[in-house]
Amino acid sequence: MVGAVGGSKRGERTRGGGRVNDRSDPKADGGATAPVDVPASGSDPEDPRSEGEPAGRRNARGIRNRLERRAIALFGLGTILLLLVLFYYPVATVFVEAIVVEGAVTLAVFLELLRDPFYFGDVARLFAGESPLAVASDLLSSDRRIGIVGFTAYQAFLSTLLSVVLGVPAAYVLARYEFRGRRTLRSLTVLPFVLPSIMVAVGFVATFGENGTLNRALGLVGLGPIELMFTLEAILIAHAFYNAPLVARVTTAAWESVDASAIETARSLGASPFRAFRDVVAPQLYPAVLMGAALTFVFTFGTFPIVLALGGFELATVEVFVYRLIQDLNYAEAAALAIVELVITLGILYGYLRYEANHVVRSRGVRPLPRRPLSPPTLSVRELVPRAGIAVYAAVALVVFVSPIVSMLYASVAGPNGLTLDHYRFLIDRQQTAAAFQVRPWPAIRNSLLFAAGALALALPMGVVVSVLTTRRYRGRKLVDAVAMAPLAISGIIVGIGLLRGPVFGIELAGWQITMGGAAAIVAAHAVSCYPFVVRTVAPGLESVDRSFVESARALGASRARALYDVELPLVWPGVVAGAAFVVAISMGEFSSTVILATGTDQYTMPVAIERFIGRRLGPATAMGVVLLVVTSISFVIIDRLGGESFGI
Amino acid sequence: MRALASEESDRSLESLESRSTSSSPESPTEDRPIAVDLADVTKRYAETTAVDDVSLSVREGEFFTLVGPSGCGKTTTLRLIAGFESPTDGTVRFHGEDVTGVPPEERDVGVVFQNYALFPHMSVGENVAYGLNFADPPGGVSDDERVRELLELVDLEGMQDREPDRLSGGQQQRVAIARALAPGPDVLLLDEPMSALDAQLRERLRVQVRGIQKELGITTIYVTHDQEEALAISDRVAVMRAGAPEQVATPQDIYRRPGTRFVAEFVGDNNVFDGTIRSLGGGGLASVDVGPETFAVVPGERDVAVADGLAFCVRPENLVVAADPSDGLETENATRATVRSAEFLGETTRVHLEWQGQELLVRTRNPLSGKVLVGFDPGDAHVVSVDRTA
Repeated sequence: MVGAVGGSKRGERTRGGGRVNDRSDPKADGGATAPVDVPASGSDPEDPRSEGEPAGRRNARGIRNRLERRAIALFGLGTILLLLVLFYYPVATVFVEAIVVEGAVTLAVFLELLRDPFYFGDVARLFAGESPLAVASDLLSSDRRIGIVGFTAYQAFLSTLLSVVLGVPAAYVLARYEFRGRRTLRSLTVLPFVLPSIMVAVGFVATFGENGTLNRALGLVGLGPIELMFTLEAILIAHAFYNAPLVARVTTAAWESVDASAIETARSLGASPFRAFRDVVAPQLYPAVLMGAALTFVFTFGTFPIVLALGGFELATVEVFVYRLIQDLNYAEAAALAIVELVITLGILYGYLRYEANHVVRSRGVRPLPRRPLSPPTLSVRELVPRAGIAVYAAVALVVFVSPIVSMLYASVAGPNGLTLDHYRFLIDRQQTAAAFQVRPWPAIRNSLLFAAGALALALPMGVVVSVLTTRRYRGRKLVDAVAMAPLAISGIIVGIGLLRGPVFGIELAGWQITMGGAAAIVAAHAVSCYPFVVRTVAPGLESVDRSFVESARALGASRARALYDVELPLVWPGVVAGAAFVVAISMGEFSSTVILATGTDQYTMPVAIERFIGRRLGPATAMGVVLLVVTSISFVIIDRLGGESFGI
Repeated sequence: MRALASEESDRSLESLESRSTSSSPESPTEDRPIAVDLADVTKRYAETTAVDDVSLSVREGEFFTLVGPSGCGKTTTLRLIAGFESPTDGTVRFHGEDVTGVPPEERDVGVVFQNYALFPHMSVGENVAYGLNFADPPGGVSDDERVRELLELVDLEGMQDREPDRLSGGQQQRVAIARALAPGPDVLLLDEPMSALDAQLRERLRVQVRGIQKELGITTIYVTHDQEEALAISDRVAVMRAGAPEQVATPQDIYRRPGTRFVAEFVGDNNVFDGTIRSLGGGGLASVDVGPETFAVVPGERDVAVADGLAFCVRPENLVVAADPSDGLETENATRATVRSAEFLGETTRVHLEWQGQELLVRTRNPLSGKVLVGFDPGDAHVVSVDRTA
């Protein structure tokens, strides 16, 4: 039997393209130096291997092979084209608008912006040519003006501080203590990425508003009421709600990767527990805390829905003002302001990445630090003090992280006379009786689902292809990475306005007027802003798949694309599913670009509907928020079950 | 490297003849046509040159091993043959046909990796059958039949439905071999396939792999860092160092007639002496000054002259020792040395001697200590390098 395995195999080789000449083929000797075109030899009529296989089947296989061989390149090209049309071109039109006025290139808009104290406060006088000393002394005086940009940076700085203060203790508890629900709590830290910010804003109104749960609770004990709405404090707390979990997440990961034997070595060399922490643990935590802080600053610098809902225009940040300028149809100034914002954000990110390149230790602890039980094993002071601190922290965390969600749920069923389903009934009534200009719930839900499905259909293949292209090693990979990841850095408002002014209003191309529907534009904007999250969940998995898997498949005859489909994707599918869940959740909660692009009367989504309800009727807004929460929670459960751990941020 | 042109013209002799000689232990594949040929192949990365101007030819049905320390370029060479990397310079040919730049899926190679790389989401049977998606099984059998055939070949009958990670390391490696062989590849490439296994299993699997290779007559290129394994399993061995082969020869030649000092020291234990030729005597003997001593050495085919620098090696098993120096030795080249330490290896004891500030290794069955007399036969010395003065 075994003789047949080896002896008979050569004559019957039919692998597509039939690469290697049979040894009895006289051409083999003469052709030794001539490079042979790749698939051609398979269809050579003199090739002894062609006998017995019908020509049609052979050709079909050849075509399929050729397509498969180029599949990755084709998909990559498609992704780049989509990015060009749906992202780079629209964004470029916005930026061009800022520097081209009436057909001439000018920096006038910028200069005007930089010299306007409304935006830059006293610093603007610096650009206007005043002496730096005078400006500096004015900035130090008590009646300084910081302008909108200054205020944006100021609130971002305070938000970052608060997020770190609330996030690091959480990391300490999660990394160093063992208790029931620790793993769930740890995976809950991914929540900010999927919770729609407009829903969080509703929760905050329900908690801290005039008739919110906080004032009711204070009223019960004879205090208050306090006015938190439209104050800086409300915005800061909302930002902390969002970003403290991020800080906690990255810090926990760093803490867990500290190797216990490193501390034991320090202790055995004579270091006290505190010294060991300072010299061994802390240096591994700083970079993570700093990463969380840098990302928090960038996120809160570009904050939009939260400030819009909780601050109004009195506390406007740059992004809110860009939105306002767009509403006033002042596109040039809006674009210039957006560019200023982008430059500041990218500057901070760049500074952070430079730091990261030099400082981050990427060692995974072989043996993580042991966790202590949360309930004290003995009643000594040493055991009780840290746990008392944790209890205090838990109470604060309850107010900041849990009460907004609970308050929203409560407000959606609270009426003047106890619990009621009136708000939900209102949504259903509004569905039947609404006037044409009024927001109806069902189209909002339907649109949200449809847009999410469309975004998923685009973002998933884009994300997978970009993951493949960025995990392979080749020259220019960094450039591909940067080009593909740029959508993370550009705010939704810019993408939205670019799509609106470009494809939606119509592009003239070789005499053809090309226009894109508002719905299609929303799907495009969502896909572009979501697919980096697919990359973030899929690429780490692909990176960890040993290359010998793919190489085995290819040596056995599979094309690169086939190996991806047969071997890699099945191995990383939890990451793919998690990426899909991110796309759905983020698309559902996306507000910035949607609110700009939902120009038609029937293109609003759930977040846009919430925003339109929020000013007038809190009840229906919270009811809508609950619907959104349910949908996002389902996505979250999927992410948690299928690979939240592999999420790369 | 060897001249190939004349050998290419002998292709008409074909495999019948070489098959008939395959029972001979010494290079049974000498007359066969060349299956894999590297011509001036170089692979450079940003900072390093992994493979430096390598030319090699592997004959059909030959078991050819690349051996060397880590970083010598042996794995990169294998990856260039498989098509996972493309050379910076040079040409890779299969049966005379240029395949440089041809992707691996079109090369008819079977590859087995150190970590087996069995697809964890497929059963054993699905793993073995995977390559049959892209090529019909040789011999006109059905896919199922082919899978059964191969599992039988690697002694894993009836294991089709098992999960790969439920198998032992040795079993997984045999599945990987079956999978690589299933589409009937032209060349089998094995990249350190045994190094994750324990010593005993390694030796058993080594015999089995060689058995399968002989049975199928498949051209096989094997990469290992284990010189003992290389000698045991191969028709021919290329000892690599710093991106290029130092010597390509049969295991017997590699061991008995190392071509360079590096080969002499890398393959097995060895004692290398550096000296100067004092005189050339009759009977092909040369007198070589090594430190204060003078040894008689057979320079063999080497062209030497008086005053040339010369390095020669003597295997530990060819060093004769007398436990008591006053006993004397029957060999010519006797000298006194001091025992430093001994390692008991079971069959023999490896003794470390100190001689003129240099360490000498000897193999002995008797315990040794203190001062001993050590010597060797001039015919057991092998010259590894000559430094011509003229």
